[in-house]
Amino acid sequence: MEGFPIISLITFIPVIGMLVILFLPKEKVQNIKITALAATLIQLVLSVILMANYNYSAGGIFEESSFQFIDKFRWINIEGLSWIGTVKIDYFMGVDGISMPMVLLTSIISVIACISSWNISKSLKGYFALFLLLDTGMMGVFVSLDFFLFYVFWELMLLPMYFLIGIWGGPRKEYAAIKFFLYTLLGSIFILIVMLGLYFSAMEILPDGQRVFTFNILTMMDQSNYTQDGILSPFNPNNWRMLAYIALFIGFAIKIPMFPFHTWLPDAHVEAPTPISVILAGVLLKMGTYGILRISYPIFPDITRELAWYIALFGAVNIIYGAFVALAQKDFKKLIAYSSVSHMGYVLLGMASLTTAGINGAILQMFNHGTITAMLFLIVGVVYDRAHTRGLNDFGGLASQMPVYTGFVTVAFFAAIGLPSLSGFISEALVFIGAFHVESIRVITIISTLGILLGAGYMLWAMQRVFFGKLNEKWSGLQDLEMREYIMFIPLTIIIILLGVYPSLMLDVMNTSVNTLVDFVSTNFTNISLGGL
Amino acid sequence: MQVELTHFLVVSTLLFSMGVFAIVTRKNAILVLMGIELMLNAANINFVAFSKFGGFGLSGQVIALFVIILAAAEAAIALAIVLNIYKTFSNVNVDEINNLKE
Amino acid sequence: MNYENLYSSLSLIQPEITISVFLLLIVVADLIFDKNKALIPFLALAGLIIASVQVILQVTNTGYAFPFSDVYLSRKGMVTVDAFGAFFKLIIIISSFILVYFSYVSDEIKKSEKNLGEYYALIFGMILGMFFLSSASDLILIYVALELLSLSSYVLAGFSKLRTRNSEASLKYLIYGATSSGLMLFGISIFYGLSGTTNLYEINTFLASHQINHLTLSFASILIFAGIGYKISSVPFHFWTPDVYEGAPISITAYLSVASKAAGFALLVRFIKSAFVTSDDSLGYWEILSVFDWHSLLILVSILTMTLGNLTALWQNNIKRMLAYSSIAHAGYMLLGVAVLSNQGLVAVLIYFFFYLFMNLGAFFIVMLIANKTGSEEIDDYNGLGYTSPFLGVALTLFMVALIGLPPTAGFIGKLYLFIALVDAQMITVAIIALLNTVIALYYYIRVLKHMFLTKSTVETQTVSVIRPNIIFIIFMLAPVLIFGVYFGPVVDFAKRCVQILGL
Repeated sequence: MEGFPIISLITFIPVIGMLVILFLPKEKVQNIKITALAATLIQLVLSVILMANYNYSAGGIFEESSFQFIDKFRWINIEGLSWIGTVKIDYFMGVDGISMPMVLLTSIISVIACISSWNISKSLKGYFALFLLLDTGMMGVFVSLDFFLFYVFWELMLLPMYFLIGIWGGPRKEYAAIKFFLYTLLGSIFILIVMLGLYFSAMEILPDGQRVFTFNILTMMDQSNYTQDGILSPFNPNNWRMLAYIALFIGFAIKIPMFPFHTWLPDAHVEAPTPISVILAGVLLKMGTYGILRISYPIFPDITRELAWYIALFGAVNIIYGAFVALAQKDFKKLIAYSSVSHMGYVLLGMASLTTAGINGAILQMFNHGTITAMLFLIVGVVYDRAHTRGLNDFGGLASQMPVYTGFVTVAFFAAIGLPSLSGFISEALVFIGAFHVESIRVITIISTLGILLGAGYMLWAMQRVFFGKLNEKWSGLQDLEMREYIMFIPLTIIIILLGVYPSLMLDVMNTSVNTLVDFVSTNFTNISLGGL
Repeated sequence: MQVELTHFLVVSTLLFSMGVFAIVTRKNAILVLMGIELMLNAANINFVAFSKFGGFGLSGQVIALFVIILAAAEAAIALAIVLNIYKTFSNVNVDEINNLKE
Repeated sequence: MNYENLYSSLSLIQPEITISVFLLLIVVADLIFDKNKALIPFLALAGLIIASVQVILQVTNTGYAFPFSDVYLSRKGMVTVDAFGAFFKLIIIISSFILVYFSYVSDEIKKSEKNLGEYYALIFGMILGMFFLSSASDLILIYVALELLSLSSYVLAGFSKLRTRNSEASLKYLIYGATSSGLMLFGISIFYGLSGTTNLYEINTFLASHQINHLTLSFASILIFAGIGYKISSVPFHFWTPDVYEGAPISITAYLSVASKAAGFALLVRFIKSAFVTSDDSLGYWEILSVFDWHSLLILVSILTMTLGNLTALWQNNIKRMLAYSSIAHAGYMLLGVAVLSNQGLVAVLIYFFFYLFMNLGAFFIVMLIANKTGSEEIDDYNGLGYTSPFLGVALTLFMVALIGLPPTAGFIGKLYLFIALVDAQMITVAIIALLNTVIALYYYIRVLKHMFLTKSTVETQTVSVIRPNIIFIIFMLAPVLIFGVYFGPVVDFAKRCVQILGL
């Protein structure tokens, strides 16, 4: 794979597809759809190739040499004047064990969402163009190793998402779209300000010995690169690291979404069209937790150790709160949306444990939640397409009417509950093992297990209301799954079962990196005054 | 009594204040413009007085000439605009010319 | 009289001479070709092309014009020709080129075609005033140039006497403008009384070496800032902006929002840098005389300006008025760059201005095309426009995204450099306030997009067809916004070369 820019290709294939679509006349509906599908499929194939060539023993995280498939060149190079240093921004992409599962997840979900978009009829051309742009934005976030690049991709997906919800969404789409946009932009300004603070605190040493400020994330992880007086430098006795960490965390937490910043999520989910809900739950939410693992943890190990307890607390709040609210929902889609809030809480809890098992569980949970929730939203989509309602109490007895569908539903629901031999079980178990191992958050962990119980409660209750009992006569005309829906459900089901019985498939990919991360976070940036706060 | 710099300054300050006062309180556009003229002339008095009492050569007087010329140009354009306003609105009351909404 | 001196001085003001000559040519051509005015725009273009070449040469060819060495020992003159001034002149020239095309397309201007000669003559008057504003280093020349600019623009604001709102815009512009220039002149007279000179460099030397009454000086500085603040429409001298922007012909509105603001910023920076700054330190921060606290004043004014601009823009239904308030907000961001009082801040202002030029004029151009067709500037009438005229819809979306400051557009780079300068100067709180402002700004820009794409039109909307030259023009405006968004190195390099202000 030497020299072949596979990562860049994976990232920008959708943009190429978008450009092709823009030049197609809008009457050629079929061509547009096929172009979009082709772009996402190529992306998936490339991701699989990436996975096949992935070296499981390389750690990544903080050393450039152990990242894989690196694409790096100098993007912006502005020679310095006496009073302002040289500005160099790198185009720097690569994968390690943390990003690899996310890359795979993004490409899988993109293909699924693309197939799920097949029956979109309104302004098809614009839809797929925005869809593919969104795809690039998401993929770019997961592979960028330069903070500037990361931020560009992070913001790049805002606008497509706004339009995708706003134009193709449900009745309150305008409200949901603007709320999503305002929340995430608010989050990203926090990220921006921390990014600039870090820029002025860490310096990269170029081969010729020159020291320049840099956006390189890996440089920011090395304590020795910090200047003596940078505002986020650990050497500065009055540094702002604590405040910056919190700001950065809020920026990412809005995306997760973490209580109390979660209120955009139910609105966005309910109003978004099915494929966009799939993307939102499947990939977008992971960007928040991924950002924390990629940026907050290794750049601020000192503060991470300090605040791990609070992260665990918020994780537990997410789990319990999400579950309780889900229990109260009457709308199928809202139920899934709140179950997402609850499930992302597990990720936070696992991350907060700072143990190998916990973080492995967290990343695996990110992947599993991506696939399971994507499937759940597709399930809602199927029934909504046919019945045009999502009320949990409007249905009943669908099992006899749509037996195959109900079969898939059962798999997805049980995976979400965390039944053994399905993928959700493994990741939740790892999270709890990791978190329970840490004494300080043991109580929180024990309380969090309540979430499993509640999860089983709302899921089974919903299932009972929709699929069992007496068939509502109104729905006697509902058809079972069609070909297109099989194509979406079968791969997801296979992944869910496969990772349930053989989790090493994914765990092996991330294990080395997670070990490196845990080791890095617990040993670096020690003996530092926490400064200002 | 010897006329000194202070006296000139008092006069110019008074003129300036009257100009500002006129701009703020008058409703008729012509009167507002007169207020502006007062401000310019207050500055002129300053220039000439400073130049004479400060021993700065003739530059102050020259500046005053410039200002007078500009004031004339400004008055010409201002009156043309006011005339235009009168044609469209049939009055020159600044408060009532308010089609552009907030 | 020293003729050699005069000759070298004249060679330094070549662009200004070209503009004056073409101003006269346009007046003459207007008289000669009484019936056929089609020639005049091309004459204007020719003048601009020559002037632009001369301005580009000024980036490297610097010096002081019109020194009065026989009176004072100082060899610094009334006009300072340097790369900084050239940068702003370039901004003015580029926007003038765009203005010529604007006027060529605009229905409002076409309807008063018989006055086309006066129109271009007045525009050249504005350009001349702005050119001198960007390089004047003498308070009197500043005042004269300011008046030249203002007088021309008063008339232009009310140029097409088709609608009553034109003349109203004109009157409001006149009254606010004349008042603030009156205040400024009074301030200048006090400066003159304090230091005995109107030359900025001599004022600098004087202030550094003499004890003066700080109160008087502060009063005079604030009065002068009133004149400048009016040009850049900063709070509290912004009241004219929305009315004039809404009332004036769109081409003139667009021009005022960029070119005349650029001249105002050039003046502000040069005034502060030449009269109050003693030296740069090694990190690019300016050593400022402690006679007047520009830092606090500018921070206060800029925060107020951007917050007020953004908050008021939220309630606007007329898109020109909305863009007017948004341009107030942008002036606030740029003032923040000046408030840093460092070369980094200045670079940020230059970069911001360069990008702002394209995104703002682009947005105005599309608004004009739509108004040409539908006759409406109300945001509510944009409903469904994204479907009936997808090209315009997408282009306006991109300009709006750039104005919000989202990557990967140039608008983001402008904001990024601004925040880099702020963070470097440890003005974190101010940076956060400015960032929160961009979130507010998002809301009203997005509102336009919402109306174009999300809201279905209740009435049958006309398709706004775009002729090919206009498409090419829009793409020409979009290209820098998008290209410099991902590859901004050259612009930053150029801006860095242009921050050198002569005279320290």
